[in-house]
Amino acid sequence: MTFTKKRKQRMSILIAVMVIMALLAGCGGGGGSSAQKADGTDDKSQKVQLQFYMLGDAPKDLPAVEAEINKLAEKDLNATVKFNYTTWTDWDQKYKLLLSSGQPIDLIFTADWTQYQAYAKKGAFLPLDDLLPKAAPALQKFVPQEMWDGVKIGGKIYTVPGTYKEYVTNGFVWREDLREKYNLPKPTDIKSYEAYMDGIRQHEPNMKPVSLNSDIKGNLHDRYSELVTKSVGALPYGIGIKYEKPTEVYKYWGSDEQKEELSIYKRWADKGFIPKNVLNVKDTLQDQVTSGKAASIFGDNPTRFNDMVIKLKASHPDWKLDYYPFPLTTGFATPVHPIHNGFAIPKSSPNPARALAFYEKLVTDKRYNLLTQYGIEGKNYEVKDGYYQMIGTGSTNGFSREGMNSWAWRNPEYMLFDSGFDRVKKIFAELDKIQKPDVFTGFAEDYTTYQAEKAALEQVEKQYLYPLQAGLIDNVDQGLQTFLQKANQAGLEKIQTEYTKQWEAYVKEKNIK
Amino acid sequence: MAIKEDVYTRIFQILSYAVIIIASIACLLPFLLIISASLTSNESIIRDGYHFIPQEFSLEGYRTVFTFPEEVLRAYGVTIFTTVVGTTLGLFLMTMAGYVLARKDFKYRNAFSFYIYFTTLFGGGLVPWYIMLTKYLGLLDTYTVLIFPGLMTPFLIILMKNFIRSSMPEELFESAKIDGAGDFKIYYRIVLPLSTPGIATVGLFLALAYWNDWFSSSLFINDPHKYQLQYYLYNVINSMQFIAQMGAGTGVSLSNDMPTESTKMAMAIVVTGPILLLYPFIQRYFVKGLTIGAVKG
Repeated sequence: MTFTKKRKQRMSILIAVMVIMALLAGCGGGGGSSAQKADGTDDKSQKVQLQFYMLGDAPKDLPAVEAEINKLAEKDLNATVKFNYTTWTDWDQKYKLLLSSGQPIDLIFTADWTQYQAYAKKGAFLPLDDLLPKAAPALQKFVPQEMWDGVKIGGKIYTVPGTYKEYVTNGFVWREDLREKYNLPKPTDIKSYEAYMDGIRQHEPNMKPVSLNSDIKGNLHDRYSELVTKSVGALPYGIGIKYEKPTEVYKYWGSDEQKEELSIYKRWADKGFIPKNVLNVKDTLQDQVTSGKAASIFGDNPTRFNDMVIKLKASHPDWKLDYYPFPLTTGFATPVHPIHNGFAIPKSSPNPARALAFYEKLVTDKRYNLLTQYGIEGKNYEVKDGYYQMIGTGSTNGFSREGMNSWAWRNPEYMLFDSGFDRVKKIFAELDKIQKPDVFTGFAEDYTTYQAEKAALEQVEKQYLYPLQAGLIDNVDQGLQTFLQKANQAGLEKIQTEYTKQWEAYVKEKNIK
Repeated sequence: MAIKEDVYTRIFQILSYAVIIIASIACLLPFLLIISASLTSNESIIRDGYHFIPQEFSLEGYRTVFTFPEEVLRAYGVTIFTTVVGTTLGLFLMTMAGYVLARKDFKYRNAFSFYIYFTTLFGGGLVPWYIMLTKYLGLLDTYTVLIFPGLMTPFLIILMKNFIRSSMPEELFESAKIDGAGDFKIYYRIVLPLSTPGIATVGLFLALAYWNDWFSSSLFINDPHKYQLQYYLYNVINSMQFIAQMGAGTGVSLSNDMPTESTKMAMAIVVTGPILLLYPFIQRYFVKGLTIGAVKG
């Protein structure tokens, strides 16, 4: 009996221990302790750990870089930082959860494509106007005032914009060696591009004249509207707004302009430029060109064009690529809007002042900046004649150039470039001459009132518009009619009126004419 | 008569063999395609598409995967760890819960049963669940979060409860009690040994759920060292898709070397390979557990 009793006791102790362990394990994760004094100023004598959130995948050597940064930050700010990454898988869902769950996050990446405007409007971020002069005066001075103005949502600053000026405008990318060989025209507009593709089709029948994949709207329509209709960015819901006349909102779907666009795709499909299975192609546009499957891209940005050139230099040195930026045809180029890259402090941050002070260091202090942009000198990279040089190759080096996805805190004064980047700089210099500001990205669409219609319309677009844009429908007019009819059933009218209303309010608020 | 029966048996046999052969071909072919693609050079995949026989043989994919083999191995380790610990702990908790709920002299068993059953009908939704685990339990970036949420699956508890109730008569507990056994001893010495088929079934479900889990990693893990195998693989394959989606409009230049098609396939082989090799050896236990469970339960 005593034996069983002992055993019983042992068992109950075991269970108790297990339960306690499960509970303790839960408490292990460090909570964010706040060093903020009651009057709102930062108590620097209290050590804090900042939670830093980035998109994408962490580079392999991140722990080493983080350790180096922490050494510096501990001395300067009595703080350490933890770099967290979301990965690219379902990042938008995670981003939403991070901001809506009230987790202690001190700094988080923002961009127009992560819907900075919408989140700022909904109050996910902390307004920085009062905090900046107190916590990060040097940063406030470093970023030009017009950029601070550019990121304002509802009159308040919610993000620290990146100051590096770049163009992500599109341009034709084509195989120059083939063009020379068959004496084809240089693509500068739709007509000459079509002639180039005709030539490729004729002389290289096994090659695709243009690289396309299932994202047909992005591959064709968005590029087309940048080159031909000169619209304000990629507009949704068949809305048309021209850069020159931003106050005039018109219906692009169903217009003569669109009919012409669709008839071009139809012709391209008939000529065999657009493959029948295009809606199932998953390869990236760039891969198709670098592997020799396709002979051109209908629009890519200068930086990515340059990446392709570098890639080809290693695998196919005898191939040549060339580039013609759309802005040279349209007559104006818009550098990226300050919203495009930035860092915000979420409402839930326990240490906003320290976070901002740390971010100031990251941008303005050369040691911090170089470490987080290029890794550890001598281990990850070296500087040769002022150019960046990676040590080893992309697969052996644990921290490639901007490996932390550190686009937001690039500092033009400290930036190191690959020698091949001179090509991009040359394009940028050309575009600088015809630059016009992008004042429209600050627009924050609020689709709460037409969320259901929006979802329905997206389905209709996929089903009826994509095939039209891929030139798969024999009768374009009839196909367009069917699409418009279905779109109207999905609630197009309501979406367009709402969107137009919001747009007009925005243009009025920002005094854009 | 006998001859006629033989003909039918034959037809049946031919038919069933045909069905099984077709089914296994349907299962094997995609896998062959992956193996072949993992041995093809990346350029050839993009140019010529997938083929059953590599058009351009290359080991580049495997070379890339094994530049940093510790990543794959670590992901393997995490998955094995969560599967073993999760299944053991989960089995312990669920058999206990099943046993308690099966005991007729437990006063609140209906209330508890209903409470457990209720959660299968109505869930709190993703956001509250996320907030609960990260904010109140502070489980972000811990191994616990990979194990903890799966420990008590309502469906499996109900299954266990029904199994215990139907296979063990109430009198058994009573007589054990008369012989001087406590509740825990009854559970430990009588219920557990008698419910092995149930344990095998529930254990298999649990182990599969842990092995295939990627969602918990996706939501709660920031540290790449703690990724589960499935998520690791999923993430590698998805990064590429993201780049394709974002298009040129964003100007995000990702300097990290993106996994190429052949690397992705090689990764799939490396990740699934070992368990495939292991499976034939442990398969008989699965079959045994399930058939006993089916016959007895």
